[in-house]
Amino acid sequence: MLFVPSCGTMFHMQRSMLDQKWAGYFVAALSVGATTLVLKVLGGHVNAATVSLALLLNVLFIATRWGSWPALLASILAMLCFNFFFLPPFKTFNIAATDNWIALVAFLVTAVTAGQLSARAKKRAEEAELGKREIERLYAELRDAFERASHAEALRQSEKLKSALLDAVTHDLRTPLTSIKASITTLLDEVRANEAPVTLDAESKVEMMEVIDEESDRLSRFINGLIELARIEAGELQLRRRWGAVEEIISTALDRAKPITRQHHVELDIEKELPGVRVDERAVSEVVYTLIDNAAKYSAKGSTIRIIARHAGDELIRMSVEDEGRGIPTQFRDRVFDKFFRATRDGDVSTQEPSGTGMGLAIAKGIIEAHDGKIWIESGAAGKGTRVVFTLPIGDEEIVEDVRYSAAAVEKQ
Amino acid sequence: MSDQSRILVVDDEPQLTRVLRTGLKSHGYDVRAAADGLAGFEAFTDWHPDLVITDLAMPNVDGLELTRRLRAISQVPIIVLSAKGEEKTKVEALDLGADDFVTKPFGIDELLARVRASLRRAKAPATNETTQTILEAGDFHVDLETREVTVRGKPVHLTPKEFDLLVYFIRHSGKVLTHRTLLAALWGGNYVEQNEYLRVFVGNLRRKLEPEVATPRYILTEPWIGYRFDPGV
Repeated sequence: MLFVPSCGTMFHMQRSMLDQKWAGYFVAALSVGATTLVLKVLGGHVNAATVSLALLLNVLFIATRWGSWPALLASILAMLCFNFFFLPPFKTFNIAATDNWIALVAFLVTAVTAGQLSARAKKRAEEAELGKREIERLYAELRDAFERASHAEALRQSEKLKSALLDAVTHDLRTPLTSIKASITTLLDEVRANEAPVTLDAESKVEMMEVIDEESDRLSRFINGLIELARIEAGELQLRRRWGAVEEIISTALDRAKPITRQHHVELDIEKELPGVRVDERAVSEVVYTLIDNAAKYSAKGSTIRIIARHAGDELIRMSVEDEGRGIPTQFRDRVFDKFFRATRDGDVSTQEPSGTGMGLAIAKGIIEAHDGKIWIESGAAGKGTRVVFTLPIGDEEIVEDVRYSAAAVEKQ
Repeated sequence: MSDQSRILVVDDEPQLTRVLRTGLKSHGYDVRAAADGLAGFEAFTDWHPDLVITDLAMPNVDGLELTRRLRAISQVPIIVLSAKGEEKTKVEALDLGADDFVTKPFGIDELLARVRASLRRAKAPATNETTQTILEAGDFHVDLETREVTVRGKPVHLTPKEFDLLVYFIRHSGKVLTHRTLLAALWGGNYVEQNEYLRVFVGNLRRKLEPEVATPRYILTEPWIGYRFDPGV
């Protein structure tokens, strides 16, 4: 363990240890004196063994509290007191009997050894404590540094994400604009017909105008999507939850999707006696429509789109829309819910089909999660195609007011 | 001039290929479209168009890779469609041998002008660079042997390096030349990062050739990319 305290703390620690040490010697002398005095007062009631044990206890006390050097002083003082006051002849340092010499030496050795041992144990404990504190300090420092670093990384990532999103948005705005500009200038060319021979037959003219019409719609859809996404992200999605029937939600979406599903078989499989759900019907129907739209867009004409609604436990309704298309590779199944991500463009899933805005699934996820539900991608039946599944809580009758207002929305009112 | 020049349009955006097909056809070109670089390359080897217009960002084989592959087998003029923010890719495409670029969104006239210029250049009688001694282009008359230059009938004195730069410009009239291409052609590969060399020589040339140095009409700047030489009518 590397322990490098700063100069300030080193100085401070040395001083306090010094103070403690002098106090240690002082207490050592005082306590040995006090013990001797008490033993002397008790007079004839104590024998040499009691005296030596009491003094030993004294030495141990000093050792554990003040360390080895005060303990050594205590040992020597105790030995001298033992000799002077309790070994005959009293009040001299002379010793008459040989066994008393042995007792005195034994006392000294025991006192010094015990003192040093307990002082060392104490020191070890202190070092361990210091080490532990140092580890804790380093750990905290490391954790702070790591937090700072990951915060900076998160910021950098978010900047990167922002610029990637900007690229995606500008691309999606510019692409239809390019077709519109090229069409309109082709038409203008024909009207102005300066020098170049321009032959634009009626059919071509209609085609140019169709492109302008379709691409304007595409721009408009894209902008609407952006607005909806921004609302969801700002938490301004206002859900108007009412009790409604699952069948009705699905049939609303299906009606709307009729023009795009004409060339597909649509299979409906709704469990009988499904309970009503307390949801924003318009929003959930929008989700179902998006899923049907995707299914129709990314699967072959004549294939089947399957819509299933079932109970999942007592509290959830599980709905899914499944196609027989090429499916979404596992590694993109989370990312397709990221805004502007398109498996057909960003995921190298090659396609000839028109690509969407890259916002449909992001909006669907926002709506489902605002209902406390979940949405995810699975492989279709027999591992082919795509199945988008979402769950919705059936709803709690006791919740009366469940419209989410953001601060901004409240301010506006 | 044959109006039935064949143009191959490569773009993954079906609406745009639809518009370009109709727009170019109405001006008498024969047009085919491909949805990505791979299909584009196949259409090229199959059909041998006179010009290729390609988008840069496409799935599978992108515009850069298509340019690289086409240049390996052909000198067909290539015009790249790029967008703001794709400058780096655009310069890369030009370095790889693309002839020109049009920035999205563009009017059909701008594209047509570039198409005409590229086709004209490609159809100009192949000049044998080693034996030809006189270069005539627009307002310029250059004698390669005596190294004499006249602009609008007036003789101009050029240093050897300025002369080489002008000859290179004239030989690549109308084409967008990146800084890198010019530096490599005149100073060699070690100097391709030394844009300031080029700026100095282009400045000198302009002072000697241009009627109005502040608004050049021969050596045109393509911001961030390089230069384009227009010899005048």
